[in-house]
Order: sequence, then C-alpha cells, then structure tokens
Amino acid sequence: MSEQKFEDLEKFEIRQQFSNWKELLKPTTEMRKGYYSYAALLRDQEYLGLPYPREWNTLDEDWKLPPNWKEIIINKMDELRRKYRSFQVFMDICVRCGACADKCHYYIGTGDPKNMPVVRAELLRSIYRKYFTTSGKVFGEYAGARELTEDVIKEWFLYYFQCSECRRCSVFCPYGIDTAEITMLARELLNSIGISQRFTLISAAACVRTGNHLGLNPGGVVNSIQYAVDDIKEITGIDIEVPVNKKGAEILFVTPSGDYFAQPHWFTFIGYLMVFHELGLDYTMSTYAAEGGNFGFFHSFEVAKKINQKIYKEAKRLGVKWILGGECGHMWRIKHQYMATFADDTYEDALKVLEDPVNPVTGTVFENASSTKMVHVLEFLADVLKHKKLKIDKSRNDHLRVTHHDSCNIARGMGLLEEPRFVIKSVCNYYYDMPDHAIREKSYCCGSGAGLLADELFELRMRGGMPRAMAVKYVHEKYGVNHVTAACAIDRAAIPTLLQYWKLPVQMGGVTELVANAMVMSGEKERDTDLRGNPLGEYLEVEV
Amino acid sequence: MSQLGFLVGVVIPYLAGFIFVIGVLYRIFQWSRSAVPFNITTTSGQQYSLPFLRRTFMDRFDSPYTRWETAVRVLMEIFLFRSLWKNVRYELPAQNAVSTKWLWLFGLVFHWSLLIVLIRHFRFFLQPVPDFVNMIQSLDGFIEVHLGWFQPHVVHIMVTGLTLLIALLYLLYRRIAFPKERTFSLPSDYIALFLLLGVVITGLLMRYVIPVDVAHIKELAQGLLAFRPPASPELHWMFMLHILFVSALLAYFPFSKLMHSAGIFFSPTRNMPNNPRAKRHINPWNYPVKGVDYDEFYENFKDDLDEIEQMGYVVKPEEV
Repeated sequence: MSEQKFEDLEKFEIRQQFSNWKELLKPTTEMRKGYYSYAALLRDQEYLGLPYPREWNTLDEDWKLPPNWKEIIINKMDELRRKYRSFQVFMDICVRCGACADKCHYYIGTGDPKNMPVVRAELLRSIYRKYFTTSGKVFGEYAGARELTEDVIKEWFLYYFQCSECRRCSVFCPYGIDTAEITMLARELLNSIGISQRFTLISAAACVRTGNHLGLNPGGVVNSIQYAVDDIKEITGIDIEVPVNKKGAEILFVTPSGDYFAQPHWFTFIGYLMVFHELGLDYTMSTYAAEGGNFGFFHSFEVAKKINQKIYKEAKRLGVKWILGGECGHMWRIKHQYMATFADDTYEDALKVLEDPVNPVTGTVFENASSTKMVHVLEFLADVLKHKKLKIDKSRNDHLRVTHHDSCNIARGMGLLEEPRFVIKSVCNYYYDMPDHAIREKSYCCGSGAGLLADELFELRMRGGMPRAMAVKYVHEKYGVNHVTAACAIDRAAIPTLLQYWKLPVQMGGVTELVANAMVMSGEKERDTDLRGNPLGEYLEVEV
Repeated sequence: MSQLGFLVGVVIPYLAGFIFVIGVLYRIFQWSRSAVPFNITTTSGQQYSLPFLRRTFMDRFDSPYTRWETAVRVLMEIFLFRSLWKNVRYELPAQNAVSTKWLWLFGLVFHWSLLIVLIRHFRFFLQPVPDFVNMIQSLDGFIEVHLGWFQPHVVHIMVTGLTLLIALLYLLYRRIAFPKERTFSLPSDYIALFLLLGVVITGLLMRYVIPVDVAHIKELAQGLLAFRPPASPELHWMFMLHILFVSALLAYFPFSKLMHSAGIFFSPTRNMPNNPRAKRHINPWNYPVKGVDYDEFYENFKDDLDEIEQMGYVVKPEEV
C-alpha cells in the first residue's frame, strides 16, 4: 500500500489496491506497528475461565492454536448462525452496493480497503460461503469463498480489532447490515480458540473482580469520591455528602469508572455530585456495581454477562427504586438494548424492589424506561432543566464556544440525540453543531471504541479519529469553538489526545460538567473560575 | 423444433421455477429458525423519550417506538430506499462531504422499473387481463412513436423497459469504473447483472426490433400457469433466449445475493422497534453465567467494605 503524505491531500485520490477479488481474498497478515493488538495475558484468560488459555504473541509465527482449531471454528460458526439471525441474514444478503464503503472512519483514515465495512464482513463471509453455502462449496473462490487457514485467523484478529463497533455503516446500509454485530461474532469465534485482545481482557477481568474496569478496590472508589467532595468544597465552599453502599436509597447511581479519576472525566464526575446535592436527591453509589461500562461486551457473550449482572444484583441488595446511569457510550448501548435481556433471574429478582422510574424532583414518569428501570442522566437532567428546578447562570459558560460530539453507541444504539443538545443549550449561550454528516446518527466515531483505546493501536486511533477532528476543526475555524462535549467516557479519554494530535486548540469534557459550571448552588461562595480553574467571562484560549 | 420448444418452453421454466420456489422457501425457513437474541435496532433518529424534546416526523420512523412505526420504517426501506437516501461521500477537506444520491436514484429506478415490468407481464399469464395491469400498461406506454420506416405501425415506448436497461447499465458501470466498487466486487455481482441484462435486452429486442408472435407466447404462458402446457410449442428463437435468461435468473436466485429481497424483512436492525427499555426482549437461548456475587466480593474486600460501613455509608469532605 502506498502512503500518501499530508501535504499531498489536495491531490488525494482513491486507487484500486487489489487487482482482483482473488487478491482481495488472500489474507493480509502483515502486523504493522500501530495497527495490531497485543495478545491477552495468561492471567486474565485464566481468571475469566476462557477456553485454551495460553501465552502467545501476535508477532510470533505460531499462535499455538489448539490442534482441532479449525473444527472448533466451523462448529462455533454453525452454532452462531442458529443463535443469531443477524449473523445468518447479514452473511446471506449483502449485495456489495458499496454504500457503506466510505462510511468507516478507519477506512477514511487509513485507506486500507479491508477497513471498508463490506470487505470487513467479507473476511468472515468468505469462510461462511466455503463451509455453509452450496455455491461456495462448489465454485470455491469464484463464488468468493476461501479456505480457513491460520492466516485467516491472523487476519481476523488484525481487522476485527480495527473496528470500533460504531455502527455508522449500518445507518447507510439499505438492509441494515451491522458491522458491529459481525465484529462481535467474529470476536466470539476468535475467543472460541483462545484468541483475545490484551486491553479488553485486562479491563474485563478487573471489572469482574473488583466491580470496575480500573481495578480500584472499594477503598479506592471511596478515596476518589473523597477527593471529589474536597474539590467541590474548594470550588464552591459547600460541604456535600455522597452516599455509598447505602441501603434504602431511592436511586442507585452508576457511572463508567473512568469518571473516578481520569481527566477530563473528573469534572463530569464532580458535576454529577454537585447537581445531585443541589437537587437533594436520595441516591447512593455502589462499590460492587461501581462500573457502568462493560468491556466483556467487546469480548464475548459470557464475559459480558459476568459483568452485566452486578447492577441488578446490587439494586436488589440495596433496595433502590430505580437506577440512574452516567454519561457513557457503550454502557448505554448495553443498558438500552442488552441489560435486561442479558439478566436472567437477576432481573426478575430485582423487580421485587425496583419500581417505574419517576423523577422525584419533577414528578415526570420515564415511560420509555419502564421495563429496564434505568434512566440516562441526560434524560434526567433535561427533565430537571425543563422544569427549571436548578438555578442556572448561563453566562458562566460564556468563555466557551461549545459543540457536541454524538457518541456512536448512544446515537445509533439508543437514539439519544436531542437530550444532550437540550441540556447544553439550557446552560450555554454559545452552541454550534458540526456539519450534518458528522453529527447525530451520522456521527463519526472518536476512533477508540470497542477495546481499541489500547496504546498499541495509537496510529490507527489517530487516523480513525481524523474525520471527527476535521469536523471539529471546521467549527473551530468558523465559530471559534473551543470546547467539545461528549457523553461518553471513551470519548473523554480519546478525544483530548486526538485534538492534540491534529493540533486543534480545543478542550473537551462531559455534558454534566457544563451544567455544574452554570449552576448557582445555594450557599456557594463567589466563583470566578469554572470547574477546571479557567477564568470566567473572557473567551478561553486553549493551548495546543 | 417442437421438441426444442418443449424443452425450452416447458421443461426448463418448470425446473427453474421449482428451484426458485423451493430454494427461496428454504432460505426463509433457515432465517426464521435462527433466533433473535437481542433487540439491536439501529437508531437513525431521536428516540421516544420526553415530550418536550424535538422528535421530527421522520425520527418516528428512523427510530421507531411502536409496531406500526417500525412497519413504516421497513416499508420505506423497501419502497423508498430510506437508508441509501442518507448517503454521503467523504471528501477532503472533510467539511465538504457531499450528499450523493446517484446510487439511490439508479437503485430505485431499477427496482421500480423491474416491478412495473413484472406487473406488465401479467397480461401474458392472465386472461382476462386485470384492469390495473392495463392501466399500468397504458400509463407506462404514454409515449407513442410512429416509425414508418422501422415498423409499419405505432409503437408505444414502454418507459420502464428503457429505464430498467439504463439503470442496470449504470449499476454495471459503477462496479467497473469506480475504484472502491471494483475492489470489492465479486464474480457473483457481475453474474446477477449479466443475467438481468440478458433478460432485459432480449425482452426489448422482441418488443422493438424482432417482432414475435405474442399469441403463441400467451398460450404458452397461460398453459404453464395452469399446469396444462402445450405439448409441442412453436417458439421464436429470440423468445427462447429470453426464457432461458429468465430461467437461469430464477434458478440462480436462491443461491445468491438476490435473496436480499426477502432478507430485508428479516434484518434485526431494521424490523425491531427502538423500545427495549420499555419492553424487555427475551433471548430464547439465554443461559446463566456465574460471576462474582456480593458475598464473594465482600470476602475479597472485607476491610474496605467494613470501613465504608463505619463511615456510615457516606463520604464527607475532610476536616481541614
């Protein structure tokens, strides 16, 4: 593949990179730095009880596959096509119209044709054809089928960990073929012969053991909250109390664990605590269910279920009435589309205490969450702000020109598009949307979702985030935007680096941070800075 | 000649029709026996949540909450190609991403033309010809051309026959001319296009260039449909070519991507409402997986958890 330099962008053109489909079907196994993931640690494989635990290395020739690996994969594939209609249908009906081809941010950023969603699916589909369709069995490569070899496994590991499961392609597909679904099932297949990615497994194992991805002990979680209440006292002069593991509270609050100390998640975290205090909410946090996210979801059905069960179990143990969830992307895809389905009897058990979510401040019934009993904090805040239950001084955000990045999972797996905009516009005077093709359901991914936040994928992430960065650049140049919000913990980890990499003088943070910033708390001291210590009033010049 | 006529006019069409019907039913059976474990709607618009939030008319179908909204979504996908309509193309600089509707346009023209041409063909099979077929026929043929030198009578140009050809040629052109499309096109993509082109071109030739005896064809078609085929039909060679292409297409159909026409109804990202938080979706093959329950968690972190209890389950600012 020929590299194109940044200065040559004017002359940028798309070239055909494989002379014909036979070349395309040949596995690409070149492990280039910045594009391949590290192999999972033996420790985590064993702790999670995964099949064929072993030490292996992505760069080795021999991946130490189990002797009958081929049989395992074929059997697993047969099992999956009966278990998932999505898999069977998506394998069968793609017409290769190409509507998805340039929708993938990794394809846009890398120019690698195997990152086109249609080709990413073909990597699996070609094997499916070979072993499960008449035409593939009879006509072989002329029907687009290919033999399952070790190189195919390597190619899968390479390319199914270059997909952030953002579902952007699925929006444009005339049949709704969802590459996220295909990627998940491909990872499930890889897992069946003991191939997992290091980063996802470290987080998932930590989450099963300690209750959060960061591996914080309960004491660590409490320490973080301690720092938060100290910070809040310093900023506002107000003593606030945060209930933890408190039985009989009305609401269980669950947030992604990145919020406990990462930057700039931190300001969103103290934002939640300030807002809940001001509203006088009867809530509790939990150290057992300290994590909203679920990295098991990026690995396999079983590991996802191991992590998923905690929230309902904790809701039952503490006897809460409903659950409030913080700002997170894949967490909300799961809470919205998977949580109650994953949970078997733990759901029915939790229903003994859970009730339909009602906002205690406004009396609004969250009808759309009547089964899962879990409400998004931005739905909650939109309702609160609509009823003017908080005293807001919008001018406190006047140093910011704000734009909003719709996180993939909540945009395309939930449809939470207007809530953040309503909340931001209620607390900010200057809000500007990015161009249409870059927001709402067409939003570009930050480039680091679904386990790709791993350091070894840095180049891929920065390239994959390029379309998002360019859209931010556009609103920065046009409106002077200096602040991007995103309701996702992965975004908050990925986008600051991305903006730095693409040299954009823009900062980023969560939505609730802006609410807390503009909120006038009763009994607060005079404020002349925002939560980050930036002076209020004058336009904020962010350093590159 | 008549033996060949029987083979091409009767045996092959029946065989192809048999493969088509059994094959399509089998594929549909295969899909329907596969489980739907999760509600994985792709939401392409604002969800149904709070009443004061802006939810446009189209949002209701792009992110449907009720069953009928979902049905409308699938119908819009089928008849209007809603998702393709959203198509954009990424260009540098990024903010100039352009909306591109060519694929949508020609895709839609092709499918609608094909539908109308199929309906027009009813007049060969049905006697008397239903009114709606006649109506479509006369609407479609509103262009009258008098080509005295070419054919001695007035020719009604059937618009859809020509648009069908043009759309197919465009769909072929983009696979050959565009680098991305050329990269991922498989032989099967071309086979489908060539079969369709064969059907369309032989059909057009019969209509405009090489006239064939329609009465004979009608007799054959009605005989086939009533399972009383003529024993030795006399068929024009051009018609035989046409019927061979149609038979090949029918027999190829169930083994190919052409199954997308039935598959769209089974696509879980399109045919499910976006209401999983209001209505729990049940996974038919769900099974319990053991995780760490609270008692085990307590054993592992006893000291920490006891300390939280001593704090009265509340974190306060430190006294300075």
